[in-house]
Amino acid sequence: MTAPVLEVRDLSVNFGGLRAVDAVSFAAERNCITTIIGPNGAGKSTLFNLISGSVRPRSGHVLIDGEDHTGAPPYRLQAAGLARSFQITNLFFDLPVFENLRLAAQILEPMTMAWRPAAASRVARARVEELLARFDLAGKAGYPAGKLSHGEQRRLEVAVALACKPKVLLLDEPTQGMSHGDTKDTATLIKSLANEVTVLLIEHDIGLVMSLSDRVIVMHQGQKLAEGTPAEVRSDPAVQTAYFGQA
Amino acid sequence: MADSLTRAKQASHVLTAVLVVAGLIYAAVGAAMGDIFYLRLATEALIFGGLALSVDILLGYTGLLSLGQALYFGLGAYLSALVLMVVPSFWAAMAATAAASALLGLIGGIIANRVRGVYFALITFGMAQVAAKVVYNLRELGASDGLVGVPIVRINLGVFSISSGTPAAFFLFVLTFIVVLYAISAYLLDTPFGRLLIAVRANERRVPFLGYRTVTARLTAFVLAAMIAALSGALYPMLRGFVSPELLFFSTSGNAVITVVTGGTGTLVGALYGSVLLTVLRSIIGSYTEHHVIVIGLLFMGAVIFLPRGLMGVVRPAVERGLGKETGP
Repeated sequence: MTAPVLEVRDLSVNFGGLRAVDAVSFAAERNCITTIIGPNGAGKSTLFNLISGSVRPRSGHVLIDGEDHTGAPPYRLQAAGLARSFQITNLFFDLPVFENLRLAAQILEPMTMAWRPAAASRVARARVEELLARFDLAGKAGYPAGKLSHGEQRRLEVAVALACKPKVLLLDEPTQGMSHGDTKDTATLIKSLANEVTVLLIEHDIGLVMSLSDRVIVMHQGQKLAEGTPAEVRSDPAVQTAYFGQA
Repeated sequence: MADSLTRAKQASHVLTAVLVVAGLIYAAVGAAMGDIFYLRLATEALIFGGLALSVDILLGYTGLLSLGQALYFGLGAYLSALVLMVVPSFWAAMAATAAASALLGLIGGIIANRVRGVYFALITFGMAQVAAKVVYNLRELGASDGLVGVPIVRINLGVFSISSGTPAAFFLFVLTFIVVLYAISAYLLDTPFGRLLIAVRANERRVPFLGYRTVTARLTAFVLAAMIAALSGALYPMLRGFVSPELLFFSTSGNAVITVVTGGTGTLVGALYGSVLLTVLRSIIGSYTEHHVIVIGLLFMGAVIFLPRGLMGVVRPAVERGLGKETGP
């Protein structure tokens, strides 16, 4: 049996007295979409920060393809095949859309290309053209990222994370603040990503979660409350209590 | 597809070419009239332009405000003077300066890059002040008098040689030298490494998630800037025949920052134009009043308020539009 592409064991972190993530364990299967849901403050984004190296966990392990990468800095985790997007759009706002993507795709080039003109990086350029087409941003390639609409910025945020051809893609609320139509388009896009990459998703739109996810993990007050297929989770009484209160 | 960064770089090249042409005319006129003073002044403007160039790499590209770049400029000037007083070889002075500035740039960079923002500015300021005080009090380095009596040096360029004592020839040599430093900087900043520096300035927090260590990028930029500042400084004793501790003082570092901001940050060429502009202003205003620093200060404040992107912030976009028309959209 091969190891799952991403495995998390007993991951915990404290912020002062608050146990923001408390002994969370799960595994994300290759080329599946695993969604993490939970009420505000459940620890979803903190969990992402622990996995992606933004915050060092206090205890527990993060394994990528069976190798331990716990507490590694983000650039090491990127090398291990992990990329992430951010809940609060985190782009190079002054730089053109093309350059945002080119910077993210540059890592695909060998190190020797770092000292040749950027225009010579053909692999990176090809990847950028591909992403511009796929994320419907080709018409905006020359615009500064800061001048894009909110929906376009959210799309670019995902495209930048995907540019390095990661094994695991962590998407933190990609549809945050999007219109209904944009959300649907994004859902289709994420669904198509699962062919090439393992997706770990944080999402609030329950309709989207149910239609998109292969597995759903429910978090509540820092702990994993439930895990299973969308249908299993929906019918779980503990989940209903967490979301809607005690009946 | 010519993206905006490439076009901006091309526009900077065009403006540098204009500066070179102007420099050639200036040298021809100066030589014809047998002038010494103005050719020397213009040479000095270019040398300080090299210092400003190094500040722009840090401030305009990497987003690091160095208030102590005079440390490396002074290092180059003193080391070059010392070498020239022992062996009058231009290349020996340059080689020593390059090696020493790479090493001290690395050490200074490791110290200063432990922190960011205003603390980075303060540490660079502090390091330069310490060095200035040491030099100022060190008898071996001439203390407050500096080192005087640096001999005129013949710069051997293979097929011919240039004497630093010939104003027009030395001016042209320094022009070439500074343009080469500009070209090296422009080349490096257009590589993925250089784009990474731009990314660090634009949003440093995102860069690690693209797979890069930002400390390495900032440190490399710091070493590069240190070397450019030092190599520019190494020309100073050849021009003036002496070095003084003032070269290490905050006024030198501060002037370099003012030069870059006035000329236009993040353009490279702005550093050179800014230096020429400030030198011209200083000498014109200086001939009317000894309080020229006040006037320069007021002009600087005016520039920051009315030309927030500096001289090149106004000129370069026009050149970019011109280039856009030529090559099509």
